[in-house]
Amino acid sequence: MVVLDRSVAATEALVVPPRKRRAGVRVHFTQFKWLYLLLVPGIIYFALFRYGPMGGAIIAFKDYVPFLGIADSPWVGFAHFEDFFASPDFPRLLANTLILALLSLVIAFPLTIVVALLLNELRLNILKRSVQTLIYIPHFLSWTVVASLTYLLFALDAGPLFHAINGLLGTDINFLTDPAWFRPIIVLQDIWKNTGWGTIIFLAALASVDQEQYEAAIIDGAGRFQRVWHITLPSIMPTVVVMLVLQMGQVLNTGFEQIYLMTNSLNRQVADVFDTYVYFMGITQGSYSYSTAVGLFKAVVGVILIFGANWLARRFNQTGIF
Amino acid sequence: MAREKYRFNTPAGRVFDVFNVALLVALGLLAMLPFIYVTAGSFATESELATRSFFLWPETFSLRAYESILTSPAFLRAMITTIAVTAVGTVVQLLLTASMAYPLSKGNLPGRRLMLSLIVFTMVFSGGMIPTFLMVKDLGLLNTYWALILPAAINPFSLIIIKNFFQQLPAELEESAKIDGANELQTLWSVILPLSKPVLATFALFYAVGIWNDFMSPLLYLNDNSMWTLQMFLRQVTVATDLSIIEADPSQLPPAQGVKFAVIVVATLPILLFYPFLQKHFAKGMLIGSVKG
Amino acid sequence: MQHRRRLTAFALLTAGAVALTGCTGGGGDGGDTGESAELDTLSLMVPYLVTNAPSDDNEIHDALEEIAGVDLDITWVPNSSYGDKTNITLAGDDIPHVMVIQGKDPGFVRNAEAGAFWDLTEYLGDYPNLTTTFPEVQQAASVNGKVYGIFRARDVMRAAVIVRKDWLENLGLELPETTEDLYEVAKAFSEQDPDGNGVDDTYGIIIPKWPGAIGTSSPYDVIETWHGAGNRWTERDGELVPNFTTDEWLEAVDYEKQLIDEGLVNPDYATFDSATWNEPFLNGKGGMIIDVHSRAGVLMNLFKESDPENFQNYVDVAGNLVGPDGELYAHPTTGYSGFLAIPKDKVRTEAELRAVLEVLDKLNSAEAGPVLNNGIEGVTYTLDGELAVPVDDAPQDLKDAVLSYSQLGMNVAGFQGYLPKQASAYEQEMYDKRKAIEASDLESAVYDPAAAFVSQTYVSKGAQLDTIVSDARIQYIAGQIDRKGLTDAVALWRSSGGDDIIAEINELAAQAD
Repeated sequence: MVVLDRSVAATEALVVPPRKRRAGVRVHFTQFKWLYLLLVPGIIYFALFRYGPMGGAIIAFKDYVPFLGIADSPWVGFAHFEDFFASPDFPRLLANTLILALLSLVIAFPLTIVVALLLNELRLNILKRSVQTLIYIPHFLSWTVVASLTYLLFALDAGPLFHAINGLLGTDINFLTDPAWFRPIIVLQDIWKNTGWGTIIFLAALASVDQEQYEAAIIDGAGRFQRVWHITLPSIMPTVVVMLVLQMGQVLNTGFEQIYLMTNSLNRQVADVFDTYVYFMGITQGSYSYSTAVGLFKAVVGVILIFGANWLARRFNQTGIF
Repeated sequence: MAREKYRFNTPAGRVFDVFNVALLVALGLLAMLPFIYVTAGSFATESELATRSFFLWPETFSLRAYESILTSPAFLRAMITTIAVTAVGTVVQLLLTASMAYPLSKGNLPGRRLMLSLIVFTMVFSGGMIPTFLMVKDLGLLNTYWALILPAAINPFSLIIIKNFFQQLPAELEESAKIDGANELQTLWSVILPLSKPVLATFALFYAVGIWNDFMSPLLYLNDNSMWTLQMFLRQVTVATDLSIIEADPSQLPPAQGVKFAVIVVATLPILLFYPFLQKHFAKGMLIGSVKG
Repeated sequence: MQHRRRLTAFALLTAGAVALTGCTGGGGDGGDTGESAELDTLSLMVPYLVTNAPSDDNEIHDALEEIAGVDLDITWVPNSSYGDKTNITLAGDDIPHVMVIQGKDPGFVRNAEAGAFWDLTEYLGDYPNLTTTFPEVQQAASVNGKVYGIFRARDVMRAAVIVRKDWLENLGLELPETTEDLYEVAKAFSEQDPDGNGVDDTYGIIIPKWPGAIGTSSPYDVIETWHGAGNRWTERDGELVPNFTTDEWLEAVDYEKQLIDEGLVNPDYATFDSATWNEPFLNGKGGMIIDVHSRAGVLMNLFKESDPENFQNYVDVAGNLVGPDGELYAHPTTGYSGFLAIPKDKVRTEAELRAVLEVLDKLNSAEAGPVLNNGIEGVTYTLDGELAVPVDDAPQDLKDAVLSYSQLGMNVAGFQGYLPKQASAYEQEMYDKRKAIEASDLESAVYDPAAAFVSQTYVSKGAQLDTIVSDARIQYIAGQIDRKGLTDAVALWRSSGGDDIIAEINELAAQAD
């Protein structure tokens, strides 16, 4: 497959470290002057709006009171971190958070790709467009609406899905309070709300696949499935990998609203995650300090995971982020 | 065309097609259903909403909810404001992002890896609400619409994906532009960007939705009620009754369910309709012709 | 061709961008009064709960400015985001003269103790309209005795039992007066087919999921007060203890469990959304609601919509119920909903403070009361004797504005506006009945003796600890844990910091005496 080899080679060439090039540094800066010029607005942006405020992260080590301001709020060192790690809830929160993240990664992520591929196979353009528009609508409904609909559908003795599923399985499950069903429902909600929207990125990637490759493959006698397996998937693989790597950085962010709305006294053991815990602590302490401390912790973990995943991706000859 | 027929007309192919269409249409309807319910609810009377649990068509049609919203000049002003801010903001954000993504897609640029690491780091960590607020204040952007556009101008995720797309474009395109005497700026504008339509359209959509749905920024940075965006209404109407654990103020009734739904519909519909506009950019085969030429 | 189109589009967008820069929002933040004690403009930050904030020039605003004698610069903030906005404002530098603070949440307490707000305890007595006739409420609104704001008065006695009148009549029953009655009526509603449709589809009491902590006036809390457990904190053997450590509380929870075990309550009590609380009552599924009595008015309105001829047959109201020991323990509210605080950052000197208090004094006068609470006479309401009749076709934004301006009302010496006249004779009857119940129950109100005290440990861990007990309550009722599990949860509360809280509260109580 000549075409494939060429693009792979081209990609690899682009990530060759600059060290291996010839000439001196000075030449390069003038050579790249337009590029640096293009970078200036972006650099200013990151400096001002991303790195500037990061100085505020210092409140993780203080007992921040808005009235006193950042500078004058008292120091507490690692007290917040200690409170967090030493809290008897920590292992449970960690477990709940990680399990939900894992389920989402393993189930929702591939599903998005599959749906994108299926959509790509639709030939009737008007049908394709309509379905696309329909499936990305859920993304716009707030979690409040999603939660109240979930309650409607699974309501004890009243919800249509309650009857349907219990009827099918011959059981008597109360989906909304049974701890065993909390995670499945959360994942289902996640899939319903985000899958359609998630396909957009992959559809864009699919739209950029060189049609010539398909033509060549057909001439070679490749069937539909083979075309998907040998052309489509490898072509969007760089996008998939990047998405996956970036997802890894978000592993500890479960999304407060969704969980909070579905939590009740009977399923709290499995429902409590970092974000809901921080929210509670936030109410009690009005504590920006505490949530910043937890945020720092999440950031450290996220960075490690991203760099780790990126390194793994490079090992498998994929583009990765860097 | 013979080729077309050959591609798809095997028996297995046809079965798959039918199954595929059925499945996707079912998914589409499943996704749509709740929104239909919300829309139907927005046209129903209060008592019907209280008595029927889930319906797709109201028994008694009532425009009351919409009347109360659309006759409010504040609401209409918010609608126009939001559309304007979203339009301008999307263009600004997209331009900033693409112009930064392009240099970073050049593997031989010195300092590239460092910059990318710094950018990725911002994806997992941010200074937080109050420090960002203080920065915006110090820049004198409080109570301006730029405060709704600039703080989130470049989304690192978007930046990275766009960069990757640029990286995947064949090198010959730029080489031929260079031979024709273009510098990188011109190359970016006349060659790269037009070819990146799918990804640019994608992120135009993402940025537009981001600005449209943002309620935090208007809350923090705008004091003047006449500058409110739609999300403030939406938030106020839906969250007040659902997320509050503070005992509700006794003298106030929660907003009517119908009004709640109507606000959801009106606050969501415009952005929903944005996507069909962009869909033509998602067409296949953008690269054909350009490589050969 | 394409180029030209793109250029036009771009030009339009640039023009739009420039235009936006021009529209940098409304006027400045008004009167920076400098050092003098003369006030030109009073700036306030106030929450609003309706969908639209009041527009800039409205008649109510003008009327208030006349009464106040100064310009009023009000920043209206949506209630749903008020907490965040408060903290942002304190962190920024555009602080108003007066801020509504919605509650003594620990964030506020820390800001106040760090000196963010004036301690008004000594000053309020100098102003006739700011001197309260409810000192207990003012005490409850204080932080360990320090009055950081002028509280916004709310009805103290609001708990009631709202019942389906037609069901009572069909079964020949009377309104419940004791907790025993409540059980009997609930049982009858669940078992004796009160709507006479031949189907077993009704139950007694509708109880929603209650995300709040213990002691936030959930139906459970109200029932527990009726059983003599006290209201949040109570005295036992000369010591202040949380009500859930008493035997009466356990009794009450057993009572609650019995109600649920026997199917006298909606089966989805653990997940039922309180936003839809009215629905089962309207649909003939559930027959009783234990909540604030104003809900009766709301229900009647909803019945009016669906059955205008007979709406008076559906709703009846009973007050607090007599407990198993024959005593009436009525469950009160805290009596206030937040207060108006004065930030020191903006109001620097005592002279300025007094200027601000003067204006607030005027805003709480008998003259301002009707404007804040009823609006403009002739436009939003007309007077019928001493009652205000709302004008139906007043412009909607003015009607909404009235609801928002009333957020400013302090009413520390009694409600200053005109009471609303009800739309029909029957509703007036019900309204008067509710008010009568309120007045009589007030005499048996069980106040929270620890309302004023803020314990340091509670500030740092309180909410998290609270869920231990409130979760256990539901788990026990649902049968997930047994009686021992419930008492173990209380013990866990104690050992995780609860004992410290008890000690601190008692210390603060001793100091206050």
